[in-house]
Amino acid sequence: MKEVLIEVKDLSVQYTSEGKEIKAVNNISFQVNKGETLGIVGETGAGKTTTALAIMRLIQTPPGKIRNGSVQFDGKDLLQEKESVLRKVRGNKISMIFQDPMTSLNPVYTVGDQIAEVIWLHEKVSKTEARKKAGSILELVGIPAERGSEYPHEFSGGMKQRVGIAIALACNPQLLIADEPTTALDVTIQAQVLRLMTNLKEKLNTSMILITHDLGVVSEVCDKVAIMYAGEIVEYGTLEEIFRNPSHPYTQGLFNSIPNMNKKVRRLTPIVGLMPDPTEIPSGCSFHPRCPKAMKECKSMKPGNIQLNGEHKVSCHLFDETVVRGRVETNEPSTP
Amino acid sequence: MFRFVMKRLLMLIPVLIGVSLIVFTLMQLTPGDPAQIMLGPQASQEDIENMREQMGLNEPIYVQYFKFLFGIVTLDFGRSIQDGQAVITKIFEHLPATLKLTFAAMVVAIAIGVPVGIISATRQYSFFDHTSTIGALVGFSMPNYWLSLMLIIIFAVNLNWLPVSGYGGMVFLILPAIALGTQTAAVIMRMTRSSMLEVLRSDYIRTARAKGLTERAVIYVHALKNALIPIITVVGLQVGVLLEGAILTEAVFSWPGIGRFMVDAIRAKDFPVVQGSVLFIAFLFVMVNLLVDVLYAYIDPRIKAQYK
Ligand SMILES: Nc1ncnc2c1ncn2[C@@H]1O[C@H](COP(=O)(O)OP(=O)(O)O)[C@@H](O)[C@H]1O
Ligand code: SF4
Ligand SMILES: [Mg+2]
Repeated sequence: MKEVLIEVKDLSVQYTSEGKEIKAVNNISFQVNKGETLGIVGETGAGKTTTALAIMRLIQTPPGKIRNGSVQFDGKDLLQEKESVLRKVRGNKISMIFQDPMTSLNPVYTVGDQIAEVIWLHEKVSKTEARKKAGSILELVGIPAERGSEYPHEFSGGMKQRVGIAIALACNPQLLIADEPTTALDVTIQAQVLRLMTNLKEKLNTSMILITHDLGVVSEVCDKVAIMYAGEIVEYGTLEEIFRNPSHPYTQGLFNSIPNMNKKVRRLTPIVGLMPDPTEIPSGCSFHPRCPKAMKECKSMKPGNIQLNGEHKVSCHLFDETVVRGRVETNEPSTP
Repeated sequence: MFRFVMKRLLMLIPVLIGVSLIVFTLMQLTPGDPAQIMLGPQASQEDIENMREQMGLNEPIYVQYFKFLFGIVTLDFGRSIQDGQAVITKIFEHLPATLKLTFAAMVVAIAIGVPVGIISATRQYSFFDHTSTIGALVGFSMPNYWLSLMLIIIFAVNLNWLPVSGYGGMVFLILPAIALGTQTAAVIMRMTRSSMLEVLRSDYIRTARAKGLTERAVIYVHALKNALIPIITVVGLQVGVLLEGAILTEAVFSWPGIGRFMVDAIRAKDFPVVQGSVLFIAFLFVMVNLLVDVLYAYIDPRIKAQYK
């Protein structure tokens, strides 16, 4: 049994916007083991960034609020600790790489100073020493140390994201949360940056949560996968379980919507419809308006989390014996 | 940086030519013959004609303008019609008092506006924020001269803490500086607040928080420097507002500055003095804005890069 590094339980986060409640994350639970990489996959608006920020307790309040849940890390519940404890965790034990490198660096400070700052803050070294170390970390991410005296605007998007990685890894964190780290980059650079990140992660023995909507990336990098829809984790399993046997209709939809070189599919089958409005999440299974396999029960009953084999879990009525058996007895067709 | 400043200085030339043209045209359009005014109502037609010749008023208008422009470049604004003294000497005589008042008012405005704006932004919609918003509204809508009178009545007449008016040490400066600086404080406060609010929402502030920095460091190290650009712009523009407001404030507090000097000159139709003072104030204003641009480049490396 692997050692658990972080355990998130029943996490719920809401935003209030123009008087409306946005249920961004609803009762999600997952864990990350030491040395492993968990991929969180979902469309834009699924609540991935919110989940990441909630772990570090960086949700802006207002408009956001963590309603419920716990984040067990290092024997503490990060959602209950004092700010001062959290400050020692952020950037030090848990750090984050953000989605948009163009806006995630402070334009008025040199990149060297921005890296040195986090070292100086957590490692109790002198500022000169922190600068020196910042230089060697820049080299580590493939940027000459001399360029540390330059400002963010002098770097390309891919280079900026390397700086972002340098800041995140500067203090050798136990957990790295990468929030769509390559989405904003040119396709040609995406692979480079991803490789750099995973190499360093291996080298430093860091666990990782990789947020993405690219299943290709997941297959290359992740050990475990969580599929997120409308603020919930609808399917969870090891990489193999999810890729061999995608079970939730939404996961199946995701797989069908990527081009497959091996099978000769003439047309991609995208998931019909849009993500629900997070102020009005549909009743029952939140995926039911888009689900090709929806049944009558799906509208009214929320599916529970059903354990399949191994670590594979899915929340869908199709796998709930009581629902399915009930349907057989009343002889209803499973697809209306 | 030197090249940047030189470039900006060169760009000032058209601005100053524009100002000189406007001032010159306005003076041409003002009714009343300077020669007549200088000689008084009893002067004969012949004397006036001679005087006009002597003052160059009979020359073609463009010649007059170029002479005027040449005078400006050599800091020769002509002589006062009232007492024949060189205008530039009189300006330098009255300028220090105005600069002192304007500077003090700006210090008051910044000392109040910036911190209150920052706190308002970091505690948006709090009691403090609402109170300071109302305060800014009140401060902004109080006419300068009315506030001056109120301050005099309360602090000078009733409480007897400070002198009613006059010129001298710090005690004389306090009331006029507050009176003049209040509106500007309100403007700076509002700008600081909105600028900080915008910066605090940006991604790099989230990055700063994710590093584990204290909220204090996030605000004063990461946010403030970015928020300064629009604040400095407003401060630069407010220098013009303060110089303008100084005219009234100086009148109320009997402050011997250039404002009061100009008001007297206008009453006496002393054209060279008015022309010279307006030009000089415009020049000051333009120089302040140059300073503002230099500060931009100093604060924001992206602006500096444009001038490499
Ligand atoms: N600061 C915010 N204020 C209001 N709503 C927000 C805010 N941040 C995110 N949301 C909403 O929360 C939901 C989840 O957003 P997010 O976590 O960014 O999703 P993802 O990262 O998966 O795209 C979305 O509906 C989004 O509109
Ligand atoms: S519970 Fe029903 S609607 Fe939801 S995914 Fe399963 S079959 Fe589709
Ligand atoms: Mg996101």
